[in-house]
Amino acid sequence: MSINDLPVLSALRTKMQWHQERQRVLSENVSNSDTPRFRPRDLVEPKFDKAGAVTGSMGPLAMARTSASHMGPSGAQSSFDQNKNAGFETRPAGNAVNLEEEMMKVAANQMDYAAATSLYSKSLHLLKTALGKG
Amino acid sequence: MANDSSDFGRSMAIATSGLRAQAGRIRVISENIANAESTAQSAGGDPYRRKVPTFSSALDRTLDAQVVTLGKIKPDQSNFRVKYEPNNPAADASGNVKYPNVNSMVEMTDMRDAQRSYEANLNIISATRRMIQRTLDILKT
Repeated sequence: MSINDLPVLSALRTKMQWHQERQRVLSENVSNSDTPRFRPRDLVEPKFDKAGAVTGSMGPLAMARTSASHMGPSGAQSSFDQNKNAGFETRPAGNAVNLEEEMMKVAANQMDYAAATSLYSKSLHLLKTALGKG
Repeated sequence: MANDSSDFGRSMAIATSGLRAQAGRIRVISENIANAESTAQSAGGDPYRRKVPTFSSALDRTLDAQVVTLGKIKPDQSNFRVKYEPNNPAADASGNVKYPNVNSMVEMTDMRDAQRSYEANLNIISATRRMIQRTLDILKT
């Protein structure tokens, strides 16, 4: 068993990947804050079982459909979460991005990522201690 | 996933596209403000017409993400301001001069909006950079 197979490390790695992907989605929302008819998106949070494996809809991202005539992947559940409060601040051009809300999400994303990386380093440190080199 | 290492790079590239679009918008706004009083060269002619920037969201295939681009810069079709100035070289036969359909107040509010969006994109870049720094910090343990 390699170090990477340890449940805690693999769970943290999945979480870090999720934050990385979420940062991309949030940056898409912010950069399109003036694009007409743009709806902000967010990622569905990963759920872990007791062994640290991912359960639920976390997986590869859904295909981007730029036209209604594109075929979607059959049976795949979308891992994007539509912003539920988007309705109340939609501008006349149809843009529903709320910059304040997006910035809050970016800050939260960054802090959670920092927490995950800290936990990752601590776990590595723990391994070193167990090996007698810490 | 094949492009794990470049995910933060993609976030930065998307935010950069936002910066570029907002900078282009500020350029158009400054053009409008600078020409707020430009009259026509010939008597009775049309003066400077206000320009309106548009944004469009495009799928960047190399990044596989929705980036924003500055679309067509369209002319504002609203009416020109007309002032009675018979001595002005641009005045028509009845002494009226057409002034551009630029309202400085509208341009200034537009610019504040552009500035705010620009700052939001900058914040995304610095947040992403801090996250990259955290990743590199794992190596230090």
